[in-house]
Amino acid sequence: MTAHQELPELDPVIHAQARLRVVAALNTLGGGDELAFPALKELLGMTAGNLSVHLSKLEDAGYVRITKTHRGRTPVTYVSLTKRGRLAFEDYTKAIRALLDASGGIT
Amino acid sequence: MVDDDAVPGPEETLRLIEEQRAATVRRLKGDPLLFYAPWGTAWLIGFTAFFLHYGLDGRPYAPISQGQALAVLMAAQIVAGGVAALGIVRASRLTRGESTAKGAMFGYAWCAGMLLMGIIASRMSPQLPPAEATLIWAGMSMLVVAVLYMAGGAIWLDWRMFFAGVWVAAVNALGVLLGIGWHALLTAVLLGGGFIVMSLWLRRRG
Repeated sequence: MTAHQELPELDPVIHAQARLRVVAALNTLGGGDELAFPALKELLGMTAGNLSVHLSKLEDAGYVRITKTHRGRTPVTYVSLTKRGRLAFEDYTKAIRALLDASGGIT
Repeated sequence: MVDDDAVPGPEETLRLIEEQRAATVRRLKGDPLLFYAPWGTAWLIGFTAFFLHYGLDGRPYAPISQGQALAVLMAAQIVAGGVAALGIVRASRLTRGESTAKGAMFGYAWCAGMLLMGIIASRMSPQLPPAEATLIWAGMSMLVVAVLYMAGGAIWLDWRMFFAGVWVAAVNALGVLLGIGWHALLTAVLLGGGFIVMSLWLRRRG
């Protein structure tokens, strides 16, 4: 990519393929909705361990909320995007679009 | 391992986001084949039976009694309801929150609507000649279907679902005006067949 002045900075928490996909998937949910962990795992085709690592990074940044609860006797984990996470994703896509415009403008 | 591999160029990134969004929506919405095709099949089979019983000019086309035709329609609808409920339950297990509540209320609205329709129709139909009595049942049940599909479109902001409801309302209105034979024929072909075609089309588009 050609360097250009005034390019927007990309959020390093989201700017990794696996976490970007996690956030993009969670962003499709309605504001009051949470996604079950196994469903997210299957959707992304990731191992549970790998997904957990990425989720905790997102949780540390305050982008993702992880709720552990029980359905009957089985423990279930639900994942959702926080307001902050939604905003960060919005900013990230805006920045990517700006980059695209900038790189398109050079040629 | 797909660990911290950085995202490729911006174009590729936007494509990745869009792909993930589409795949997630498809997965959470459930399979359209389970939402439209079972009803389409039930109406195609059930109303074809009614059509054969009543015919277009009052003479039956096949030796099917009204009771048999009704039994075929009811059985097909029960199977359709079961398949559709299975699809909804499978999709709603994946998430928790407001959309699950929406889905549950919508499901109860179907039950309540159909129950109320049954009460009204069973009170009115003994007063009517058999053809008109059947028309009350058929027309009112499709009224409930039409209104709830339109409402579902509003709830999930889904124009295709809304227009499916409009389509049911229009065919139903025309059929009721023309009488039971036509109503059965139009419902079987345009709604039964129409819903099957729609579900295949939605599935292909993804």
